This record gives sequence, C-alpha cells and structure tokens, in this order.
Amino acid sequence: MTKNFYLNRRIWKRRLVGLALLVITVISIFPIATTILVSFKQQADITRKPPVIFPCDTPEQKFDIKACRWSVEGYQRVFAPKPDEGSLFGFKFTGNLLRIYIPNTLMYAFSTAFFVTLLASFSGFAFSRYHFRGHNALMAAIYAVTGVPLLTNILALYQMSITLRKNVGFFDDRMFLVFVYLGFFLPISVWIAKGFFDTIPRELEESALLAGCSTLGALFRITMPLALPGLISVFLLTFVNVWNEFIVAYLLVTKNEYKPAMFGLYDFLSQNIINLQVLAAACIIIAAPIVILFLFARKIFFKAMVEGAVKG
Amino acid sequence: MRSAKPRKPISYHLRKSLPFWLILPTLIVIIIVQVYPALYTIWLSMQARHATGWEYVGTQNFERLFGTGLFPESVGHTVIFLTGYALVTLTLGFVIAILLKQKVPFTGVYITLLFIPWIIADIIAGLIFRLMVTPDYGLFSGILQNPALFPPNGLSILTAARPAPWFGSFPFPPSPAMIYLILAASWRALPFITLLILAALQTVSHEVMESARIDGANLVQLTRYITIPLILPTMVVALFNLMLGGINGVGMVFSLTGGGPGTTTYVISYLLYVIGWGQLRFGRAAALALLIAAVNWLLILSVLRITRINDRVR
Repeated sequence: MTKNFYLNRRIWKRRLVGLALLVITVISIFPIATTILVSFKQQADITRKPPVIFPCDTPEQKFDIKACRWSVEGYQRVFAPKPDEGSLFGFKFTGNLLRIYIPNTLMYAFSTAFFVTLLASFSGFAFSRYHFRGHNALMAAIYAVTGVPLLTNILALYQMSITLRKNVGFFDDRMFLVFVYLGFFLPISVWIAKGFFDTIPRELEESALLAGCSTLGALFRITMPLALPGLISVFLLTFVNVWNEFIVAYLLVTKNEYKPAMFGLYDFLSQNIINLQVLAAACIIIAAPIVILFLFARKIFFKAMVEGAVKG
Repeated sequence: MRSAKPRKPISYHLRKSLPFWLILPTLIVIIIVQVYPALYTIWLSMQARHATGWEYVGTQNFERLFGTGLFPESVGHTVIFLTGYALVTLTLGFVIAILLKQKVPFTGVYITLLFIPWIIADIIAGLIFRLMVTPDYGLFSGILQNPALFPPNGLSILTAARPAPWFGSFPFPPSPAMIYLILAASWRALPFITLLILAALQTVSHEVMESARIDGANLVQLTRYITIPLILPTMVVALFNLMLGGINGVGMVFSLTGGGPGTTTYVISYLLYVIGWGQLRFGRAAALALLIAAVNWLLILSVLRITRINDRVR
C-alpha cells in the first residue's frame, strides 16, 4: 500500500513536470505562432477597428471556422511575382528580398564561415599542438580581443570604409564587410577550434609522421578529418551569426544591391509601418532557413555553443 | 668560409616555423579588424571634427558627453535593462533547466522547440514582438488598449508616456516599452542560459544528491545547499555573458522601439549609434565607445578570474 502510494506520487510528479514543460514551450513558441498568424491575414483585416485576433468573424457570429479569410497577400507582396516567359514556372520573383537581399546574405554567410573555419582550424591546430614562445600570451591576447565590443570598432571601421572608398579603386563594400565579419568572428572560433583539436590524441599524428608523412600532410590527412565535426560546428555557428547580424552591415553597406537580408528587413519596417502582414511574411521568410537548419543540426550547435560559452 | 655547424635542411626550418605561418593570417585579420580600430577609437576620442579635418581637443569629448542629459539617462536605462534582463533570464533559466533535468518523456522535443528563439536574429525577434503590440493594428493592441481592462486610457506599449521618476532623475519605474524590451530580450536569451545551467546541472553528481536525500534533506534544502553552490560558477559565467550581450546588443532596440517613445529606451549602445551616426559627432561617440569597452573589459577580466578560480578548485 505504502509502496503504491509513493509510486503514484512519483508518476504524478513526472506528469506535472511534463505539463509544466509543455506550458513553457507553448509560451516560448507563442510569439512566433502569432507572427505566422499575422502573415496570413489580409490588409483589410489588419487595419480594421476594433482589431480582431482571428480573421474569422462574420456579421452573425464572432468566430466561424468556415468563414476564415486567410490569404497569402503578405508573401505575395514580399515576393512580388511577375509573369515572365523565359522562367521555369512562367513567372519570376521581383521582390528585392528574394532577388537581392537573401542571395547577398547567403554569399556573406558562406564566405565568412568558410574563411573563419579555415583560419581558425589553422591557428587552433597550431595553438593546440605547438608550444612556442609567447603561446599563452598570444592565446590570452586573442581572448582579450573578444572583449573589444563590436560597436567600439564600428566607429573606426566606418571611417576606414569612407577613406578606402574614396582612395582605393577596387574597394568593394562586400569584400570589406566579409573581412570585417571575419575579424569579428575569428577570435572566439580560434578558441573553440583549439578546444576541439585538444581532444584529438597526438599519438595519431606522431605515428603518421613516423610513417613518413609530412607535417602539413598529417594536418590535412589525419587531424583535419578527425576534427571535422568540431570544425563543422564552427562553420555553422559563424554562418548563423553572420546571417543574423544587422548593425555592422547597416553601418558599412551603402548600396542597395549589397544589402543583406537583415538590413532589407529593417528597410521593410520603415516602408510598411502598418502593413503588418508584409512584415510578418518577411520575418518568416528570413528566419525559416536558419530555423530549419537548426532543427536538423541542433546537436552540432549545442556543442559549439557550450564550448564557446565556457571558454568565453 | 664554411661555418663549423652543418647546415640544417630547409624542411627543418619550415617545420619549426610552421605554427607561426599557421597563426599569421589570423593575426593579420585580427590586427586589421580589431586592434587597429580599437587604437583608432582611442585617438578619435580626443579629436573633434572641423571644416578642415580633425583637431585635438583633449578630454573635451568626455566632458561634453558627461554634460549631456542623455548620458546619465541612458546609463540609468541600461542599468534597469541589465537588472531586469539578468533577473528574468537567470530565474527562468534555472527553473526550466531543473524541469528539463527530470528527463520526462519528450524532453528532447522540448529542448529543441525551446531553443528556436535563440536561433532567431535579434532584429527579427524585436520585429516579432513589435508586431504583437503595434499601436492600433497589432495583434494584441485591441486588448491592451481597451480602457476597461487597463484603466484609465488603455495601454499602448510602444507609445505610452514615461512614468514620473521616483528617485530624482534616475529613470525608475521604467516605461512600459522598457519592460517590454526586457521581456523580448529575455525571451531570446533564455534558451542559451537554460542550456548553460542544464549542462552544469548534469555535472552535479547523483551520489551526492542521493546521500543527502537519505540523510533527510528535502527538495528546498537539496537545491539550497547542494545544487546552487555547485552550479554557482556557471551562473556567474551566465550572468556575465548576459551582461556583455545586454550592453553590446543593439539590434532589438532598433527594430522593437527605435529608442522610443521619446528617449525611454535609449540604452547606452543605442546612444552610441545616435551620437555617432545620428548627430555625426564621432569624437564624442568614440569617447562613449571607450567607456563601453572599459566596462566590457572589466566584465571579461572578472569572468577569467572566476573561471580560473574554478579550475584551481577542480
């Protein structure tokens, strides 16, 4: 009898915990759900007074599931499809978001993540395997650099970009932006990469060296493949960081053709103060790729996050 | 004349200098993008712009900065923001981490879903929260602006006036927009903090808990005397992470409130943007940037100290 009572209590406790977690999860997803809801409303339902939450009311009834007026107007206005004979489906998207901003963001994010991973793996390897003079001081210096806030540097980088744009012929906003991102995300990535290299046993490389492999050969044939999961997480983390970055691009990019998605979204905000369905649709379109990427690769993200957080 | 020592093969030199060549590109990038701009900012903080160029003005920029009313106000806003942000996030993060640790069914699903806010950009998060309360048209503006529910005039978060301050010029109580900003920022930071605390909770050994339980400790005592002391270093690291993010993060202010209504959500990083790019006073902005950098460095040094102490204990 007593045993049964305790068992029951335990089951009830677990059920309560599960219920609490369910409620918390629903609350935390709630703002996103409302955005999806708004993105499928039509203009007439958004600017109505008094406002309604669901666009489902009829003159007779307050809520009628059959009378819901869902529409894709917001998405339509973001994509702005125009008929075009040459395209695959008979029309092409003319909205700036899909035509300019998202491809730009993809380009920035891919190139920054690639170079960050490359350079961070080189120096992470060097810091992990060699103990040269000034090793610790250099590591500490790289760590200290993460303490310089982005906004402090932006002032100087902004002045730099103005000077360079005037004086250097081949200066390109895009190149400069990627370089700046590279500098911002490299220091912490070096630390993360070093942490991953530290977990790979040295004996493997040493035996490769004994077998006649060159040092660089050992790096590329033995160590890099083993460190690959770690390096992928550095890549993904940088990719997401660049994708989500706003202020640097906002201050350094001058031409509309070079704007990344977050900058474009901010422009949308000033153009569509009351067209909430357009704003919501743009938010969903920009956030969706990253969220989907995260859902598929969440373990990789968690790994790099904890590694980076504990170190810095 | 030949030297007495036989010359070493070139591959030896290459191998010895290999770490240098591997690190060199990283160093170059960091020096150009981080070190040089930081030094330039120090120089800039002592200059003022004139028709012909820059002129040395000494500490005038700092004096002018402290002289404006916006600076102390923004510091006040930042203090309130950071306090609220840290309190909400650490408390909720701790509670959620404890719940997640119970390993009920679907914990993996919950963790994944709870993490979505973290992956969403700050500018999008701000926009999402803005959509809910946009004056007149937002999804919940109808409810919030209803005078029957929120007397006397209903509550329009993004346009509500600042309440009368209680303590001189310190902006307390915060405006509704500031509270909403804290909520939105906490919503986005919560997953990360939860994960940090959860990772620390996993290291609390089961044996210790079990033996304490056998000795008759109840849940409150277990939490107070075992869990909290063991995860305290992580909580401190989380706190500093939050402070750093809170001081430097500006995207959400941009998209959620734009500093408004009035100046009630001017945090210090937004003030930097306003002085620099709004008023084009780069010297003064550089002075402010140096102050922010100093606070950052203090925080990071404290984290380093605390984690090092932690390592030594281990």
